[in-house]
Amino acid sequence: MCPDKDDLDEEIRGHLAISIKERIERGEDPSSARLAALREFGNVTLTRDSMRGVWLPRWFDAAEALGRDIRFALRALLRAKGLAATVVVTLALGIGANAAIFSVVRNVLLRPLVNRDEDRLIYIRQSAPGIGAENTTFSVPEIDDLKSRVTTISAFGDFSTVDFAMAGLGGEPRMVKAGVVGGSFFDVMGLRPVLGRLINAQDDGPNAAGAAVLTHRFWTTSLNSDPTVIGKTIRLGPRTATVVGVLEPSVPYPAATEIIANVVTSPHHLGATMVTNRTHRMTELFGRLAPGASVEGARAELTSVHAALMREHPDSYSTRGNVQLRVRTLRDQIASPARTILLLLLAAAAVVFVIACSNVANLILARSVRREGELAVRAALGAGSGALRRTLLAESLVLCGAGAVLGVVLARPFVALVSGYAARFSVRALEVSVDASVLWVGAGLAMAAAVLLAYVPRLPSPHAPAGLGLATGGVRITPGTNRRLRVFATTQIAFSFVLLAGAGTLLATLVALQTARTGYDMRQVLTFNIPAAVTGFGDPKAIAFYQETTRRISRLPGVERVAVGSFVPWRDAGSMGPGFQFTVEGYTPADGEEDLRGRMRMVGPRFFAVLGVPVLAGRDFTEGDRRGKEPVTIVSQSVAQRLFANGDAVNRHLTWTDPVFSIYGKPIPSRIVGVVADVDDENVVPGPALTIYQPAYQSGVAGRLFVRAAGDPYALVPAVTRVVREIAADQPVERAATLEDVRAEVLSPERVNAFVFSGFAGIALLIAVVGVAGVLAFSVSARTREFGVRLAIGSAPRHLLAGVLSEGVRIAAIGIAAGAAGGYVLALVAARFFATVELPGALPVIGATAVLIGAAVVASLMPAARASRVDVLQALRSE
Amino acid sequence: MAKHPDEQRLELLQGTLDMLILRTLQWGSRHGHGIGQAIRAQSDDLLKVETGSLYPALHRLVKRGWLKAEWGVSEANQRAKYYELTAAGKAQLSRERDRWSQLVNAIGRIMNPASASKE
Repeated sequence: MCPDKDDLDEEIRGHLAISIKERIERGEDPSSARLAALREFGNVTLTRDSMRGVWLPRWFDAAEALGRDIRFALRALLRAKGLAATVVVTLALGIGANAAIFSVVRNVLLRPLVNRDEDRLIYIRQSAPGIGAENTTFSVPEIDDLKSRVTTISAFGDFSTVDFAMAGLGGEPRMVKAGVVGGSFFDVMGLRPVLGRLINAQDDGPNAAGAAVLTHRFWTTSLNSDPTVIGKTIRLGPRTATVVGVLEPSVPYPAATEIIANVVTSPHHLGATMVTNRTHRMTELFGRLAPGASVEGARAELTSVHAALMREHPDSYSTRGNVQLRVRTLRDQIASPARTILLLLLAAAAVVFVIACSNVANLILARSVRREGELAVRAALGAGSGALRRTLLAESLVLCGAGAVLGVVLARPFVALVSGYAARFSVRALEVSVDASVLWVGAGLAMAAAVLLAYVPRLPSPHAPAGLGLATGGVRITPGTNRRLRVFATTQIAFSFVLLAGAGTLLATLVALQTARTGYDMRQVLTFNIPAAVTGFGDPKAIAFYQETTRRISRLPGVERVAVGSFVPWRDAGSMGPGFQFTVEGYTPADGEEDLRGRMRMVGPRFFAVLGVPVLAGRDFTEGDRRGKEPVTIVSQSVAQRLFANGDAVNRHLTWTDPVFSIYGKPIPSRIVGVVADVDDENVVPGPALTIYQPAYQSGVAGRLFVRAAGDPYALVPAVTRVVREIAADQPVERAATLEDVRAEVLSPERVNAFVFSGFAGIALLIAVVGVAGVLAFSVSARTREFGVRLAIGSAPRHLLAGVLSEGVRIAAIGIAAGAAGGYVLALVAARFFATVELPGALPVIGATAVLIGAAVVASLMPAARASRVDVLQALRSE
Repeated sequence: MAKHPDEQRLELLQGTLDMLILRTLQWGSRHGHGIGQAIRAQSDDLLKVETGSLYPALHRLVKRGWLKAEWGVSEANQRAKYYELTAAGKAQLSRERDRWSQLVNAIGRIMNPASASKE
């Protein structure tokens, strides 16, 4: 339909030719006829464009105008490369951080699980906050009672975590973490196999054949997705099982395991303790909501049934523990540990974005003041305010678009960083991938920034005398603009202050954790896991194995001392629950007072010497404290001080009274032979811990090896492994690490916290410094004349220098005050939603203040130096 | 050829150009230059159509389907685009003519009440 350009040109040429010919026929001179025809026609290009415009849709006009503006903006920005680069990089940091964190938040907190009808899948947890047990799990009798009494749950699934020594899938025998589940588990979870079948009701009971399902991660990473694995027989400790299937990829909860097996593979699960002891809790519980039931309904019913159970079996529930039931959907359960930290990150990223935007606004504002002349000329030539805004919008679109592109590119590594970090809090973060949401967020933020920025500069008013702007080429700064610049710079300082104080708090926490005295001599102590998988639990053979192992390792060159134990400090934290109740001879509890809980640790002779824990009274365990001899025990200083007059504990007797032990018959008192210094193997920052040590050679339970090295501890690893394997060929020897490294590993989430927030604060600080420097540089260049005059009438350069410096410091001070006030209010508000909000201590606040003031001084130095070096003649002549 | 002083030349009334073009083409096809000349000649040089308005208007009318355009050769042996009324264009012309006479009547009554009432 639309005629092309040549067509239009030819029509116009035809018109001109006819017109000229007519004029010549009327007797005009050919050259003047041509000129007259052209003059009569008017603007050829304009006419052609408006002819073409008839055929084009209406939006095309606007788009074309914007395109023209964008080309113009590109050319203009190429002339101001420094400014453009600063703006683009600043925006890219802001957009990249936000896009990355948003996509992690979306994946971890918002996306549904792969489980079928995942909104009907709930997780039930029993806890005893009064004794510090966040998850006591359930015992089989408890689960049976809940199953028989609850109607809002149509089916329960149970899962307990067991360590198996696994052999039969190639490679050395090794310890694997396995789940042991009942036949209803996979159906309740709503998971499907990718290969073979999952465990079902046929696999229940003591007479079923051993069956194991491989997790997808294990199958793909360790077995190269080998499909022939189905039907193979594996050895799990003393039992065997057939691999029946491979599970689909899913969130591993409650534990990341390599295999999931049926109950018959674990002799323990079939024993009387497991089946009949109400306090033998090791099973996690899941449920499917019955049709028509809601999570709230199920929660109400489960809570009331649970309360009834507690009334019926008062002995099994510690009053002091304040036992509770928590019911929530599995998705909430998995996401909740990460929620606070992710929302915090999102807030930090948003703050960085605000800082980035206000900095960019500053730069743009300063630039628009410089080009006031240009805008005044365009307004004088008839450009409407719409057209001027469009020019500004085009420019900010170009800047923000470039920022968004770079930001999305940056988002990729950011996502990897943040999801690796968030994975410490929620396993779901492991599946986060960069998706289109990053693009949308990036584009959305860029558009928001662009529109915002286009409306920052004030347009020259058509009514104001434009003569001023047109006449002098110089920069004039109005009080209004100056105030706006300062407001933006102050905003940046304020937000940076909040971030810096936050990062400072995290750093202070980290430093406190890292410098806390642990009571251990950590550097030379090497720990190993030698799980009692092959030897069995409490077996006389195990005792012989431990004795032989320590004896032979102690003869290795470079080994100072060796001992066995049951618990690697910090790494095994939480694995033994909240401790067991005990009582001591001669201590009468007050009425209604429960027996105290103490941590039970099995240690061999020389354990305290290896770990550098001083024996304060009595003696260490010896080789003679063996099975069949007098039961003995060693207590920590806090036990002695709390329960005995004058801390005089040696030779008194201690008895475990916890109901867990009731199946072993009447508890036997053991004689306290020693008192050792307090150490806290659960917490990195030690608190007083009631700890009771039992001789490993009496109980036959250990599983951890501690070696004190004379030289480099890690050099001993091969020799120790070889010795252990010589004694027991199938014995796994795992996770060799010095105590110092164990602590570092335990602290790594704190370290990453501090690192991530310091990163944000660093970015914010950098942007704020650029912002303050920009504002001052601009204000100095606008006041060149004033400085010239002041220098001319005898002002000393250092006065000007001090003036500009103090201006910078004033901006920083106001910003810090605003940030402190705002941050305080923010913390108060946040404290209403999150339990864990703390106000930063004095040190981080002072530190952040010092850093910002210092940064402001540094940022002011260059503009200040320029002010004091203004060339008087130049400055006065420029008028 | 006498030139009218500026004050005697009339501005085209808004919206009348389309009607004038359609009217000019009533008796056959013409090229753009010819249409401009015809309007000028028939108005005794009082109306002068700017080419900057004429050509976009021609294209607008083609787009609306009231005119159709065809390349041809002028009397001066010059290739030119010839415009011609379509059936829809003829209908449009009579509509415009009616509307115009109503408008003239109405304005006439306002400007000259006595003579209008006699009619």
